[in-house]
Formats: sequence, structure tokens, C-alpha cells
Amino acid sequence: MKQTLHSATLDNGIVLLGEDLPGLESVAVAFHTPAGAVHDGPGRCGLATLSGEMMLRGAGDRTSRDIVEILEGSGIQWAQSVSTSHASFAGAMVARQLPTALPIYADILRRPRLPDDELENARQMVLQNLAGTEDDPAHRAMSALRQLHYPHPLGMPSEGISADVEAIGVDDVRSFVRAHVVPRGMIIAVAGRIDWDDFVTRVEALFGDWDTDDASAVAIGSRGERVRFVPHDSQQTHIALAWSVPPYRHDASYEASAALSVLGGGSSSRLFSEVRERRGLCYSVSAGYHTLRDYASAICYSGTSAARAQETLDVMLAEIDRLPGTIEEAELDRVKSRAKSALVMQQESSAARAAWIARQWYHLGSVRSLAEELARYDRLNVASVEGWLAANRPAGLTIVSLGKEPLEVPREVSA
Amino acid sequence: MKFLHERLPNGLDVIAEVTDTALSTSIGFFVKTGARDETDAEWGVSHFLEHMVFKGTNDLSADEINRRFDWMGASANAFTSEEDTAYHAAVLPEQQIEATALLARMMRPALREDDFDTEKLVILEEIRMYDDQPPFGADDRCRATFFGHHPLARSVLGTVESIERMPVEVMRDYHRRRYSPANIVLCATGAVDFEALVSSAREWCGDWEPLAIPPRRAPLDLRASHAPTLELLTRPTSTLEYAVKMSRGPAGDDDDRFAAKLLAAILGDTSGSRLYWAMVDTGRAEQASCHHQDFLDAGMFATQLSCDPEDAEELLGMIDEVYRAAAEKGLDRREFEQNRNKLAGRWVLLGERPRRRLFDVGPEWAHSGDYRSVADDLRTIENLSLEDVHRVLARWPLHGTGSTVLAGPLPLDPSLETASEAQ
Repeated sequence: MKQTLHSATLDNGIVLLGEDLPGLESVAVAFHTPAGAVHDGPGRCGLATLSGEMMLRGAGDRTSRDIVEILEGSGIQWAQSVSTSHASFAGAMVARQLPTALPIYADILRRPRLPDDELENARQMVLQNLAGTEDDPAHRAMSALRQLHYPHPLGMPSEGISADVEAIGVDDVRSFVRAHVVPRGMIIAVAGRIDWDDFVTRVEALFGDWDTDDASAVAIGSRGERVRFVPHDSQQTHIALAWSVPPYRHDASYEASAALSVLGGGSSSRLFSEVRERRGLCYSVSAGYHTLRDYASAICYSGTSAARAQETLDVMLAEIDRLPGTIEEAELDRVKSRAKSALVMQQESSAARAAWIARQWYHLGSVRSLAEELARYDRLNVASVEGWLAANRPAGLTIVSLGKEPLEVPREVSA
Repeated sequence: MKFLHERLPNGLDVIAEVTDTALSTSIGFFVKTGARDETDAEWGVSHFLEHMVFKGTNDLSADEINRRFDWMGASANAFTSEEDTAYHAAVLPEQQIEATALLARMMRPALREDDFDTEKLVILEEIRMYDDQPPFGADDRCRATFFGHHPLARSVLGTVESIERMPVEVMRDYHRRRYSPANIVLCATGAVDFEALVSSAREWCGDWEPLAIPPRRAPLDLRASHAPTLELLTRPTSTLEYAVKMSRGPAGDDDDRFAAKLLAAILGDTSGSRLYWAMVDTGRAEQASCHHQDFLDAGMFATQLSCDPEDAEELLGMIDEVYRAAAEKGLDRREFEQNRNKLAGRWVLLGERPRRRLFDVGPEWAHSGDYRSVADDLRTIENLSLEDVHRVLARWPLHGTGSTVLAGPLPLDPSLETASEAQ
């Protein structure tokens, strides 16, 4: 398949990435600034999220209503989000609207007003969202898992912690934006029906003269306890497990994610077949690969009624333990087929591709072509996956359960 | 983009929207059956049957079905709603024939009793999962009250009791009656080889026995046309209070349904709407939104609110005021145009994803026997006028009416009931 990728770097360090998707009428653009939750700081968990929200509340000579009205009035689907590593602002639109969109995003990133009188509303919005997550047991279990498993502060919840969000002042927000919404480390990705040269010229004009100090690095601390029970008054018990695997930029990440996909990736995976199909223990059970830049995890999840939760955990642990040495060629073929097909289908969405090429750059410092990515899956074989598994047996599991009663966890799995 | 249609002698419709530039092929069997077609003894059977279809046929095991989908690299799934049950797979074009054959064979499941008993446990887990999640049953209760004796009152999952007491014979009989070929549409979108699709249909579905299907429309009896109602479901341990309100709107065969969707966006889209600026932007509510949903013979505006329990009464009053102000003072041209462009932009983006188009093209044909292209829909949206939206507001006022259900920590409080009755 023919693929056209572009990249350029401005003098101030901003990386521009592009991909032509000729079948589409739309274009998607995403601005990823290195202002993620990892920079929240002690006692300020949620600062990145609140800052991201404040950046939308007036920028340049536009009020927050002006921003939304012009974006939506131009048919631009906009989104803003904060992850561990980035604060991201994105938009998807018919291609001719891109020149309308770019100056608005430039204002949001470079000239946010961060007004005093919007702080309380923005804070309440973040707190409302936090209160909502309290009512979502699966989210709470996964959030606790990441917090325990990754070294501090990499697993901290980007949505924040209520007490911390309450304590944030407008000066915290202003210094955070000044320190972390900076050109160096920023990625602007565009995909769809694009005119690359025109895009670079426009971005250069809007962002080229932006120069600031570099952001400071984050000190990485220690991780939490291995086993935690979170009491919650629910009918179901939620089980979340994690162990460490290589991050995406490591070559072995393909073996790791293939092994995890055999374990719990599709409807023919081990966990789905054994836990749901054969035993009817639950509605949802899965295993997957989650990566940050320098750390990554295997993550397994299931939710099931309290009376059957212990059996569900026991079966999940048994399947994890059984994995090394038992992978069959047919299983791996299915995993490869699913991964390759998903990659090709992703080309039908400008927003998905813009996100993908940015993610690749962040992890690898380059964008792999689709052909290379597909070739990496082709090269996977039972010997390579088993070889990796033999040297990296799942061990040192972090286990979170959330529900009415704690579960029994065999000591050796968390050792 | 072109549309193709062929009907097999046994009544099965085969349709496709073909996009030459698409990289994938999406295939779906849309069965014109759902919760509204169930009797009390069958409550939940449509959805339960959807699960059982993945449990295999007389010559295909459940494992074999799962392995084949994964081997094809398919993104396969199914869903059940009040009016539809759909089984679908997105694959690369070279897998079209294989994926169509597999889905077609699944439409004639074995419905083995031991599989039925095991899967019953999974269904019960699914019911418990939703029961633990917002809005904690407020949506199902609201639908039951709003639709009253109308068949749309029935929840899709059924209840623990209705599922537990259901014998396998009920499902077998329901399948035989409802999965008749004339009650099914085979739809494909994207990079479709239509000739191959029709010949797959002939090969795998040609011998399905046609049975007469009774008409689905029911006499309209919506209690919401009477006084507003308010009910409370107390969930002491939830953090927020969740409210669902339903009021009447245009049905699926009403030309005003597009204007209704635009009206709902102006009033209560999840960003940039009147409710958004009044409650979400200010951090008063976690969510305050409104959308329009249409069915064969009914339509509704559904309002959703989640907020601190102590604010619920005040915010419900504020929402009613937002709706009243719109009806009494009208909407301004600027917000009308902003939202019309927003809707049009959304349609263009959705329209270029064949995997997404399947869920517009399939159900549209199943419900009305019509095909609407993205261009048709866009033209309709672009031709909407402010007067159209005002007419919808006048025909189906959203204020001072409707069924409301609250779920959350709020204890039963008679003053709340009175406040609502007084409106």
C-alpha cells in the first residue's frame, strides 16, 4: 500500500508530522504539548487537567464562548485531553476548514488568558468529573492499579485527586502553563486530505517565533504495594492485574504484546475462552498492553459477581501461569492477523492516524511506515514469542480488587 | 459511492453502499426484532439470543466461530436494542466472502441447552454490571414510565427474574418466528463486491424458510402526554445524583426528525449548547445534555443530568427554564447556524468511515425500506431553517412535561414530588 508520510522540525523544536490519506475529505490535526499529569507536582494532582481546561477559557482576543462558537460553527469536532505525558488539543474537520482552525489552536497554546474569574468554574468542572469517576467501579479499579504499579508519579490519575484540585490556585495554573506548554517536546500531527507544504507554512507563521525555556525533567520515585483491596458497595467485584513488560520503543514490545494478545486480546483468546465462554464467570475479561515511554505493563481486567470473584481470579492467574511454553502457531497467526487488519483499517480515520503518528514519534523519535509495521508483525513467530516469554515469565504482579469482600491472593504471584 | 439492492426469493434483502476508496468491508445482518417484540415470558430473549448466536451451529462450535473471526482479523460484534438485533464484522476486502458466510451460518444457531445454561450466567453478570453503573437503572425505569403500555417500555436486558426463569424452548420458538428471512437485512458498506455478496446470500441463506411476520406498530399510548411524573430510586452509596427525563418528540417516519436532532443539539449537546453553558461549563453539573431518539412509531427527547445530590432539584428546575425560554423567546439565528454546521461536520466525518456507515444504512433500510446517502442527509441538514426548529418546539414542547427518574443518594422526599407536580 502506498503511503506518504511527512515530517519537519521548526527551529524552536516543534515537530510537525503529516500523513496523506487520499480517500478522505477530512483532515485531523492534533497538538500534543509536553504538559502532562506527570508534571502535576506534590499536592497538586490534577493541575495539568485543570490547566488544560483553563486554556480553553479564553485565548488571544477570544472568550471561551468565541472559541467554541467558531470551532463548532465551522463544523470542527474539537477535543481536549490530558494524559500522563501530554496535554492534547485536537480537531477533525472537512479539509477546507483547516486554515480557520490553526490560528485558534495557536491562540489556545500561546496566548491563553487563564483568567482569575474562570478558575472556580473550571475547578468545579474538574471536581464534577472526579465525582463521576467515583461512581464507576471499573475505572476506580484500573486507576488504583496504575497508581500502585508504576513508579511515582507515572501512575497518578491525570483526572486529579479532589483534595489537591481544591488547593490549586490561579498562580499554580499560570506557572504550570508557562513551564510546560512549550515548543520543545511539542508534536503537531496532521492526517487526511492535506497539503503538506501549505500546512508547514501556516504552522511556521503561527508558531515559528515562539521561544521559551525548556521544561524541567521529572524525578521518578518508587512504586506502591503489590496487593490492594478497595472496599466498594457493588454487586460485582472488579479485578485488575499488572506486571511489567518492555515499553513500545523496545524491539521486544512486539513479542510482549503478541503474548498478551494470545492471553486476552480477542474472542478466541485464552481468557475469553476459559473465563467467559467455558465457565460463564463474567461478562468482561481481557488482557492488554499499556505503554508509557520508559515503562510498560501487561494489564488484565475482569468484573464479576462477588460470589464468583475468587474463582475468576484463580482462573486468570492459572491462565497467566500456563502461558509460557504453550503458545500455538494458530493462536499467534490470529493475533498477527488481528493486529495487521486493525492497522490497515486505521487508515480510514484521519483522527486515528493523526494520533498514531504522533504517538510513534513520542515513543520512537520517528514514524514507522505502515509497511515496516506490518513487516514487524510478519517476523513474529512462536519461537521468538516463546523465547521472550521464557526469559520474562509473568512475575511480581500488582493485584487490585474492588468490591464488598477482599480476595485471597497467593503470595508467590506478587513476589 | 453507490447503492445496490437485491431481494432473494425467500424475502431476504441484500443491500450495499459501495465506496471505491474504502480499505475495509463491513458486513452486518440486521434482524428486525428487539425488546419491543417480546412478551412478558420472553423479556430479555432478544439480547440473550444475540449472545447465543455466538455459541455455534450444528456444525460450528463457539470456539470455532471465535477463532475464525480472529483469524480473519475481523472486528466482529453484535448489539440488541428496542427494535433491532445486529451482527456485524469489519474485515479487509479479501475476507468478505469468508466473513459473510460465517455470519450467515451463525443466523441458524444450534441453541443447545447446556450452552444456554452457561450463557445465562454471563447475561446475569451483564445485568449486574449495568446495575452497578450510572445511571443506576434510572434510564430503564424512565423508559418504563414514559412508554407505559407501549411495547417500547420494555428494557433490553430483561431482569434477573425474567432471565432466570426463561427455558430454552422460549428462545427456540422466538428465533424460529423472528429470524425469518423477510425479517432480516444483509447489509454491507465500504469496499464491497456486491455480486459476491449476493451469491454468498444465496448459498447460505437461500434455503431459509420464509414465515409471515406480524406487523410491529402498536397503538400510541404514551403517558408522557399527560401530567409530568417524578420518581426516585435511592442508591445511598453513589456519589452523584443521576436524572433521566423523557418527553415526546417526532417519530422515525416524521420529516421533523432532523429538525428535532438539531433542536436537541442547540439545547443540550455535550458541548457548546444552552445546557452546557448554563451547567457544565460552570461546574454545576457533571453532565447536562439532551438528545433526540426516534423509533418506528414514537420519538422522544431524552435529557440526562448528573450532579451533586443537593443540587438536583434546582438544576432540574433550571433545565425546565432553559426549555421554557427556548419555546417562549425562540432561538437566535447564530446558535441555529452554529449547530447546523456542527451537525453537518459530524455527518461528513462519520460518513467517510464505512464501519460507521453500516449502522446508518442497515437500520434505515430495516425500519423504512429506504436508503439515504450521506449527501441526502447533508442536503436535509443544510436545508433546515430556524422556522423548522421553532415548529418542532411548538409541536413537542420540552418544558413542563415528561417523565423524570432520579437515581442516587437522595432519600424519598415528598417536597420534590410536589414541586414537579406543580409545574
